[in-house]
Amino acid sequence: MSGTDESAFGALRGQLQEAAQAFADGPGALEGILLGIVDDVDRAVREPLEIFPVCHHSPASATAMARRLREKRPKVVYLELCEDMAPLLTELRNCRLPVAVQAFATETEGFPAEWAPLSVVAPITEASAEYQAIAYALDTPGVELVLVDRSSDHVYQWDERAPQAAAAADPDAPPAEEEAALHGDAVGVEIGDLRPRFAELEEHLLRHGRVRHWSEWWHQYVELPLGDSDHDTYRQVMLLIGSLFRRLAPGDEHRVRVDEDRERYMWTRMREHLTATGTDPADCLYVCGAFHAASRVAEFGVRGADTFEIGPRTATKWQHGLIPSSHAAIEAQFGLAAGSVSIAATVWAKNLRRTKVQPFRLAGQNGAKSGRATKAVAAAAQAAQDPTGSVASSGESGAAADRLSGFLRRPPVLDPLDEAELLGWSVEIVRAARRNGYLASTADAIAVFETSILLAGMRDRAKPTPYDFQDAAVTCIEKDSVPGRRDVRRLVEIMMGGDRIGQVGYDALPPLARDVHDRLKPLALRLEQRGVQRALLDIASRPELERCSDVLWMLRRLLPQGAARPIMGERRLGERSIQESWDLALGTHQRALIELGYEGISIEQVLEQRLRRTAYAPRATTATVLETVEDATLYLRSRRLADELGARALETLAAERSVDGAPEVLRRVRRLLAFYRTSEPVLPPWIERFVKTGYAHYCTLLPTAFTDEDAGVRQVAAMLGFLFSMESLALSLGCDRTQLELAVAQSHPEDPPKTALLWAARTQLGHLTRADLRARCDELLDNPLVVPAYPRYLSGFVQALEPVPGLTDFVVEAVSNAFARLPDPVLLPWLPTLITTLRDGGGELAPLLIREAGRIFPGRLTALDAWVPPWREAPDPGVPASARRAEAGRGVALLAAHPAACDAVAGLLGCDGAWETAAAGPRGAALVDRHPDTATALAVLLAAG
Amino acid sequence: MSELLRAPAEMKYAEELDWLESIDDGPKPFAWRLSPKMVRLFILGSERADGLDRPVAQKWFGDRSFVERSIVTLASDRGLLLIGDPGTGKSWLAELLSAAISRNSTLVVQGTAGTTEDHIKYSWNVSMVIAKGQSRESMIPSPIMTAMEAGAIGRFEELTRSTSDVQDALISILSEKYISVPELAGDDNGNIVFAKPGFSVIATANSRDRGVNDLSSALKRRFNFVRIPVVTNKKSEAEIVRFRTEELLRRHQIELDVPPTLLDVLLQSFADLRASAAAAGSDDEKLESALSTAEQIGVLEDAILHGNFFGERALTAHTLASSLVGSLARRDPEDLAILNKYLHGVVEPRSKEEGGSWTEFLEGGRDAIATLS
Repeated sequence: MSGTDESAFGALRGQLQEAAQAFADGPGALEGILLGIVDDVDRAVREPLEIFPVCHHSPASATAMARRLREKRPKVVYLELCEDMAPLLTELRNCRLPVAVQAFATETEGFPAEWAPLSVVAPITEASAEYQAIAYALDTPGVELVLVDRSSDHVYQWDERAPQAAAAADPDAPPAEEEAALHGDAVGVEIGDLRPRFAELEEHLLRHGRVRHWSEWWHQYVELPLGDSDHDTYRQVMLLIGSLFRRLAPGDEHRVRVDEDRERYMWTRMREHLTATGTDPADCLYVCGAFHAASRVAEFGVRGADTFEIGPRTATKWQHGLIPSSHAAIEAQFGLAAGSVSIAATVWAKNLRRTKVQPFRLAGQNGAKSGRATKAVAAAAQAAQDPTGSVASSGESGAAADRLSGFLRRPPVLDPLDEAELLGWSVEIVRAARRNGYLASTADAIAVFETSILLAGMRDRAKPTPYDFQDAAVTCIEKDSVPGRRDVRRLVEIMMGGDRIGQVGYDALPPLARDVHDRLKPLALRLEQRGVQRALLDIASRPELERCSDVLWMLRRLLPQGAARPIMGERRLGERSIQESWDLALGTHQRALIELGYEGISIEQVLEQRLRRTAYAPRATTATVLETVEDATLYLRSRRLADELGARALETLAAERSVDGAPEVLRRVRRLLAFYRTSEPVLPPWIERFVKTGYAHYCTLLPTAFTDEDAGVRQVAAMLGFLFSMESLALSLGCDRTQLELAVAQSHPEDPPKTALLWAARTQLGHLTRADLRARCDELLDNPLVVPAYPRYLSGFVQALEPVPGLTDFVVEAVSNAFARLPDPVLLPWLPTLITTLRDGGGELAPLLIREAGRIFPGRLTALDAWVPPWREAPDPGVPASARRAEAGRGVALLAAHPAACDAVAGLLGCDGAWETAAAGPRGAALVDRHPDTATALAVLLAAG
Repeated sequence: MSELLRAPAEMKYAEELDWLESIDDGPKPFAWRLSPKMVRLFILGSERADGLDRPVAQKWFGDRSFVERSIVTLASDRGLLLIGDPGTGKSWLAELLSAAISRNSTLVVQGTAGTTEDHIKYSWNVSMVIAKGQSRESMIPSPIMTAMEAGAIGRFEELTRSTSDVQDALISILSEKYISVPELAGDDNGNIVFAKPGFSVIATANSRDRGVNDLSSALKRRFNFVRIPVVTNKKSEAEIVRFRTEELLRRHQIELDVPPTLLDVLLQSFADLRASAAAAGSDDEKLESALSTAEQIGVLEDAILHGNFFGERALTAHTLASSLVGSLARRDPEDLAILNKYLHGVVEPRSKEEGGSWTEFLEGGRDAIATLS
């Protein structure tokens, strides 16, 4: 394929050869590279299928593309973009650019599970050559657009690294702003990545170009010179740059292999298409990055080798959609300098005005300006009348004229920024700075203007570039601190066009997102707009808003924080809001909503799937499953799903061996029980079984938990809480109390807090009296060896408030005793522990204690002197136990004396029994009389002893 | 020149400056001795592509746009304020700029709490005033006034350290460009000292001391601020450390090699400590030191001197570690704890993994911490 000296590039070859000899002292590597570049250009130019090399975010590429498409009117456009993204491109017309075409897969097959979710994005801006090609092909009848690059599936198949590593941004980059994170952690694919692949070359170019970053270099040395050049010059220069970067530094091996495979893939696909449709290659245009245009793989060209076999895709199911993008997101993802895409957009608009090139736009594209459109139409009419372009098609002619020599000899083109424009900018930036809190004045505008010109002079430019202007503005206006949200650099970026954030139109949204918008229509808000909007839902007066409220609560559960935020109103089991107000930012979080759309067709379905997934996850705990039950009831109001998930909770509980989640389980079960008791005629069967199983389960685990070091006091307290508070229900369902009593009897904790807990439990069960408990505490306080551990016992008692709330007064007493009797060295270090215990216990334990303390302690200071704590008061001496019993009998006496009421009730109930008198004398003695054998035997034994 | 402990830049590079002046054909603003491009070349050094007969060494390391912005500011109507953390090379850049532009970098006012307006304007030779009365002869001009009279660059170090009223004396100097001397009202020579073209002021301010004596907005307006960040790029930092260390070795006339592996160890340890300082939540969790490049040079210099005079006339990782700990441990429990954590959490695993100098470095660090605590 290599050209001969007779070709158009003969003269250039000769010159380069001489140059190589002069600089490298004879033919060698340098000559090989230089001549190889010319060969590459020659080969690509001669290819019958016209190759159109582009660079991403290059207005020059876009202008050249628009011009070329009008001139050539190709019938087929091949585009370097993932082939599976094709069906979505027509939806671009419903969006405001920039947006990104996204391929998304949540369930992966054939890829490591930790890569999920897989996401590939291809951002599309208006100032790009690919958008021109897409708009032309989709809106011109009879033109076919064929995407030829590997599919999204292959992107991951060929990726050796983890996706995170692939998407990793420049470590020196500033932290991503909200707009910059629009693509999430997707892998970006882009048409026309053109950048030196070895750092030294880039550094060299930057240094000699006196520029700071690659985007600026490109703008200065390629974009501007190419801005007004003809098609052949454009094409040859782009091919030259592609070939230069390729030959000088191929980059790392894996990347080169992937690049070459992609080229093979694309050419194979194009040949397949040509054969299948029988299209003449001369009627086609192949749009690809300049890097790929200078390819040397055997498959290159219409007559290339057919040796590449395209591998099958994995079974991963890919979903496709459009998501909003932004200039900042594109810059962040592809490592471009901040503001470069915005500057490209401004340059594109300026180029259009200057060159009068009529761009292509998809019909109905959002954001189109009517004025410009009419102008464009007029220009198009003019273009149609005057079809004689400045250049003949090189692809058709076969042998192209050498445009490179002229271009390479030309001095650098200067930025045509004129003085009036610079003056305008200087004034504008000072105004913007003032609005943002800077103390900027007209003097600063003058200084910025002057400094821009001086800086341009320092950097060998006749006139300042936007980047020089930015530097000047920073120098003159930025002081030691940034007063507002934005610094001067950012203000200049905004002034130069600013970040533009795309928006996916209603029609291009997935069904789920459309459904959400439809259902929220009654709110009468423009939810597609970015920013936060306040929604007020007066459900009491407009009951139809309750459905909106349901949607909002589900969105809150499903979308990232901030998308839907309730300001007033809450959703809890068994409660219903009368009024709600929300802060909604669905426009800002459009990507999240769209990605939700990949999971299902309605939010209910997605929520159900997610709840199921959480509940059936291998690591799901009983607490998490109960949470899903609660969510299913709360958001979906689905008894069916709640029952199913409840059954699952039962399974997890039975299989659980740790008691870590006990507090959470107790809290949730209590809440669900309370809800079902008030809202359903009978309890759902699962919750009855849950209580029953839980009772047995916690009884079994109790003795171990008391001694296990891993189980905390809180956990054990929660277990006891479950056992005591669910006891009546459990016993009514057939549980046996003996099990609990046995479990408590088997528990022998050594830890002071747990011991205290056990004492409390035994008090609740009636094994210990208050007096016993008080005696034990006194004993602890009296024993100097145990005193240091006393606070730990107290912690146990505080925790015991959960299972045994009846002990509150005793706990107050114990704490008061501690304050009274503990020595300071023990008391003071313990106080923080008490506070943290109470805080951990949440709002439940502290109010209990405080209320009780308020009841016990005197309310006024004066009353304190005369106050004696209730526990110090002497027990009431006058009432002996026997008297109490006699008193208890008094009611019976009254009943016997006036039997009329009782008889009447008995008559009503149909009982016809007579009144009986109790036999005199103790009942036990009667039993001894009736069965004397045991007593006799005992008497014999005692006598014998 | 060898009799001076430290020669100012214009003396040290006198020969180079002469040569640059001789080949400079670019336009020079005011009375500048070099054109702005040559000033940049002098500071940032030359490359082969510049096509000069002799190489010009790079003297200041950092983003070139800082230098360009600084030069351009001096060519404009405003003063230049270099602001940044301690040890980022602000004063060195100021010295180089004034040496290149006006061949005099010694017209310096050092801002302190005791700096008075006299230090900025003028004062009187009391005995002469008694003998001859107040006249131009008995007036002692300040460095700034001298710079005005000569059309040179005056320097004001640590501007924010001096009090607000003293700072504000600069306002009229920077806007009206003259100092009036009311005491000489009847003098025929005039009671006003006008600045000649080329006069400007380079001030430096420490961003850590912000708020000590904050600049008034009127003064801020008259300065262009150039913020010099701490160098975090490892490559340029290595360059700076090597450059400065060579200079120091030459000054101390020490023949000692700094092994590249040890330089790497030093740079890496500073990078690690900076990362941990960036991640720290409170001041107690980070070292008091700013961890600037200058501090790295200090650590290295200390280690070299120690190795040369007390050691085996060679630099070892052990000495480097103890010098690092010695320089960075300023507060007793906090800094030592951080360094201890660093040694055990970062250096120890690395020494197990990579071995080499890291093992010795770890031992040195441990010994130093043991001695200090």
